[in-house]
Amino acid sequence: MNAAVVVRNASDQLHARSLATLRALLPHVGIHAPGVYICDLAGTERVLGAPSRIARRIVERLSRVNAPAAVAVAQTPFAARVAAERTADGDVRLVTQAREYLAPLPLEVLPIEPKLAGELGLLGMRSVADFAALPRGAVFDRVGRGAARAHALARAEDEERVRADPPPRRIRARRLWDDALPSREQLVFALRTILDELSAALASEGLAALRIAVRLERDETEPLRLERAILPPTRESAALLRSVRWALEERAHLGRIVGCLIVVVEVEPARGRQIGLFAADGARWEEAIASARYLRERLGPGRVLRTRIADADARLPERAAEWKEVIS
Amino acid sequence: MGAPALAEAIARIEARYGTRVMAHGDVVESRDAERRISAGTSLDQVTGGGIRAGEPLAFVGPATAGKLALALTVAAAALREGGMAAWIDPSASFDPLAALRAGVDLERLVVVRAADAGEVLLAGAAVLRSEGFRLLVVDLGPSFASRCSSDDLAPLVPFVRGSPAALLIVAEQRGRRLVLPTVRVEPIAWRRRYGRTVGWSFAAGAPASRERALFCVTALDAAPTDLGMRTQLAEVAPPGVMELTPSGVMEQAS
Repeated sequence: MNAAVVVRNASDQLHARSLATLRALLPHVGIHAPGVYICDLAGTERVLGAPSRIARRIVERLSRVNAPAAVAVAQTPFAARVAAERTADGDVRLVTQAREYLAPLPLEVLPIEPKLAGELGLLGMRSVADFAALPRGAVFDRVGRGAARAHALARAEDEERVRADPPPRRIRARRLWDDALPSREQLVFALRTILDELSAALASEGLAALRIAVRLERDETEPLRLERAILPPTRESAALLRSVRWALEERAHLGRIVGCLIVVVEVEPARGRQIGLFAADGARWEEAIASARYLRERLGPGRVLRTRIADADARLPERAAEWKEVIS
Repeated sequence: MGAPALAEAIARIEARYGTRVMAHGDVVESRDAERRISAGTSLDQVTGGGIRAGEPLAFVGPATAGKLALALTVAAAALREGGMAAWIDPSASFDPLAALRAGVDLERLVVVRAADAGEVLLAGAAVLRSEGFRLLVVDLGPSFASRCSSDDLAPLVPFVRGSPAALLIVAEQRGRRLVLPTVRVEPIAWRRRYGRTVGWSFAAGAPASRERALFCVTALDAAPTDLGMRTQLAEVAPPGVMELTPSGVMEQAS
């Protein structure tokens, strides 16, 4: 069974709130559009109860976060969504026979092009039932794959499963130490285990860190906050440690550190070279260019260059080669 | 030694020499070959099998001795095995055409025109701390135009210990305070033909050793030609053709 949830006029905040609430309640939450969610209820009955009960619980939870919702439960995601769109806020509709429910509805509920809808209208088809009554093979042969899918939806035969995006996991690691760390060297050594943990978490998610935030708890003074952009993005703990070490070395006095929290603020999907699928050369290239860009920022234009031979036989040496900035 | 003391000791070593400096013995052995830049010439015998990543080396010799030609050979060898190389060029004397003729892949070479010793150190530290480079060459240029001396490069040495890159310094004079493994490059003789100079030959070797690798450069081929080791040549050279100077350098008898 599938539950469709419609939160009308959902702003960005309302959408985020509703989504977080649904994700806290159900394991598979798909987003059809902002404010329209499809939840796969397969396997939830034993834990959460019957679908109708779950639907009422969804309405109740969403109303707590000021998100009035209409919920419908049906065999197919499409039927559930169509039913939810035709349900008043705060109500729950249970559709036991999806095809019968869809049958009297107009053709416009189906995802078909307006031109095709017009042609079907000329053929005398007005409702979903008229379209569903056509033989499947004839629809596929005459109007193609797109209409064939709409035909399957009209017959409540769509096998499409809810594509549920897992909630973004916050990748973070924290340590508190009984004895304050007095030196930078000790801190860097201690950070290694934290970054190893983060690296493992990134690896399990298939991600590479793009930006990390470090919060160092200090004895008898304010916490020290650092933020590092990791270029190129990586999940390698050695590269993360190196970046943090650079940031620490820029500070003359760190104080006595008693705890550390490192949060991966921004990630991107790890590319092949970042997870070792290809030769290390590609990653080396990226890192070298990133270092060269860093140098260009520090030294200014015209200082960090790459060269290529423009004319090996040029009479003037300065015309033999061209110099260009390391930008890309 | 307790665990905290051991951790403290490891932390201090890694802080000073980099996180790569410590590894299990088997890992060190397996990585040894891939961390070596081998030019495939007699220079490898002088440098003990090639220039190793994480180690500094200096090519020292008078102007026009051939040390730059050797450095370009090393850069070409480093780039043949992948990765990138950086060339810090405070005197702005890098010649792309000579590099190309020496076999350097210019696409993989970054040239940094540092204006003073501070910028050389900044660029050197950034390159050595990066995982992307296999070789860093610091060409101090001719002494009359030099903006930086070998001694100024002392702060780079701790960085290179933990780096995946090798550091190669090209200078006319050894540092007075900074002692680095050095290959001394000395000219042997000019090659003349029909009254015109068409090239020269030079020797490269450790100052404390009598063994030398011999090379010659001609105007037609910018890359140095490997002539072999001094001892090998002495065996095949007819008596009186090649003689040894008191410093161990071979000279062509006039």
